[in-house]
Amino acid sequence: MNLNDYQTEFNKLIAQQSFSSDSHPQRNNTFSKFLDSGIPTKKWEAWRHTDLSFLNKNNFRVSRPDDSQIDSIDISNYKIANTYTIIIINGYFIEGSSVLPKELKVSTYTDKNNWNPKNKKENPFELLNASLSDSNIAIVIEPNASIEKPIHILFLCTGKDNLMINPQITMDISRSSSATIIEQYVSDTSSFFQNTSVFASIEKNASLNHIRIHSNSDETANISGLHVTQSDDSNYNYFQLVDGGALQRSDIYTDLEGKNATCSLSGLTLLDKKQHSATYITSDHIMPQCESSQNFKSVLNGHSSGVFNGRTIVREDSQKTNSKQSNKNLLLSDQAIMNSNPQLEIYADDVKCAHGSTTGALDNEALFYMQSRGINRKDSISLLIRGFVSELINDIKSEDLKNHLFTRFDRWLLNNNQ
Amino acid sequence: MLEIKNLHVEVEGKQILNGIDLDVKSGEMHAIMGLNGSGKSTLSNAITGRENYNVTKGDIVYKNDSIIEMEPDQRALAGIFMSFQYPTVIPGVNNTYFLRAAVNAKRKYNGQKEYDAASFLKLVKSKLKEVDMDSKYLKRAVNEGFSGGEKKRNEMLQLLCLEPELAIMDETDSGLDIDALKIISRGINNYKDKNRSFLVITHYQRLLKYIEPDVVHVLIDGKIIKSGGKELALELEEKGYGWLEQ
Ligand SMILES: Nc1ncnc2c1ncn2[C@@H]1O[C@H](COP(=O)(O)OP(=O)(O)O)[C@@H](O)[C@H]1O
Ligand SMILES: [Mg+2]
Repeated sequence: MNLNDYQTEFNKLIAQQSFSSDSHPQRNNTFSKFLDSGIPTKKWEAWRHTDLSFLNKNNFRVSRPDDSQIDSIDISNYKIANTYTIIIINGYFIEGSSVLPKELKVSTYTDKNNWNPKNKKENPFELLNASLSDSNIAIVIEPNASIEKPIHILFLCTGKDNLMINPQITMDISRSSSATIIEQYVSDTSSFFQNTSVFASIEKNASLNHIRIHSNSDETANISGLHVTQSDDSNYNYFQLVDGGALQRSDIYTDLEGKNATCSLSGLTLLDKKQHSATYITSDHIMPQCESSQNFKSVLNGHSSGVFNGRTIVREDSQKTNSKQSNKNLLLSDQAIMNSNPQLEIYADDVKCAHGSTTGALDNEALFYMQSRGINRKDSISLLIRGFVSELINDIKSEDLKNHLFTRFDRWLLNNNQ
Repeated sequence: MLEIKNLHVEVEGKQILNGIDLDVKSGEMHAIMGLNGSGKSTLSNAITGRENYNVTKGDIVYKNDSIIEMEPDQRALAGIFMSFQYPTVIPGVNNTYFLRAAVNAKRKYNGQKEYDAASFLKLVKSKLKEVDMDSKYLKRAVNEGFSGGEKKRNEMLQLLCLEPELAIMDETDSGLDIDALKIISRGINNYKDKNRSFLVITHYQRLLKYIEPDVVHVLIDGKIIKSGGKELALELEEKGYGWLEQ
């Protein structure tokens, strides 16, 4: 898509009157900012390693309300046991999701007056999301509530090709409350473009487990921005699985705005063929005594390529910061490429920071050791890759979710170790 | 059981073994002694089929078949086991899970029923006692955070579970304290029987206080230059290797 194509889609959306006209000036304003900035190219520092050619080569159209009217939808494949499920199909909320507990407020809207784009970082795709956002969800957890069952938001693209979906999610985790939220992106259509923005605010002493699963079909582009702000004593755990899509890019910003907060980010990327996935993180230690960690792993096969760009900033006043970054990558083919770049920017003196990155092929010593015990080469390779990823998945607290993730991993492995 | 004939082995273009002959019969225990760098581990690796250990001449025959074209796992299934001089750490792979996978691979090969997790745990726990190993090591990743001695006990544990017919012990005694040395030798002595053979590699004579090899070979520069009874080990202890090199 080029800028003209985006303009055409924007015009369509406005004409479609999906939104109240109140929001039009703001959308117009945001969209013209997007046009001014343009689509990132490899000349942009933050996009140097991200290959957007898939997106630029293909055309997508904004979805209409009738795109969600699909005759038969079988979501059983995507269900995760023991969760509250919210279903968004082709960009539109579907009634009949779970009955939710009263401490949990979920509103979904495509128009209304509460349209409130937050574009702190002004990344072009976030501007695009703010001007086009159609499937929006606001989750509010009341103070002192602890919601045990995970809240599962299922974004499904089905039945229609070449849609462009722009979900926007806000998560407000109020004081001393806790919850688990799963965003899952899946599809059975061959092609679409999903551009998501998520804003999470974790208030004093609150805790959020956030899991994002990008399991889209091969011919899809998935761009997502995530902005997290944390208050005093809050706790944020993030895990992402990327095992689908032609193009995937995540921009994650976590702002530790309160003291004594902890933020742990982790992720597993499984790629093959010509898939491309890039994860950009900025963990900003604005206040003292916070802990942050980044623990990301990728397994790359075929001609796939990946980027890990983890940046941790420790500001002048952020004494007693404790921060760790780790990025480990396993290359299963000679043609696969990984670009790993953990960075620390430290302006305070009393801090503990560590970072490390390794990228390599399967350990031949370990393979020989296993084979010398009678395990054939193929099974040895499976054991090694499983060992590589299991540390991350085992850290997930919910057993049902863990099983779901291992099932996805096993499926990937089956296709990639033949 | 094992017949090695005029074996020449090259590693990364470097000739390391220069014509080794060895005949280990069922129930026999042979010791191979030699200084560091003489080719002992190269011989073990060639027998177990490690990548890049190329046989350029000669043959390795196990139970009457040449094995030099066989994959390492096929050799293991046929009954060959090596206790590694430097056991490999495998992060993320649970020790018990790994051991069960190995034992089940062998049982499958032999047409036996595979163990489930519970029945296997029973088996392992009984073997643990024989090597005097704490059960906490079962919960760890393979060899991860194990001391040198613990790694060697773990090798011995694998041997006891896999029940090989030919066991190659590559410097299993090196770096062990006296208690661990006694445990490992007791393990070897209990395991040995008329259908099982051992190739025990060492460069110290001290292990031979606890085990009784039928034959002792001296390896220098990739060749066996002398073979004899246990008294040869004592002679080496007294005189060193120098007198043999002439
Ligand atoms: N992988 C390898 N690559 C190159 N040279 C090797 C390799 N392994 C062993 N060697 C060389 O082969 C010789 C014999 O080594 P090794 O068999 O390990 O001796 P030992 O076990 O008797 O101490 C040494 O000179 C060593 O440097
Ligand atoms: Mg050696």
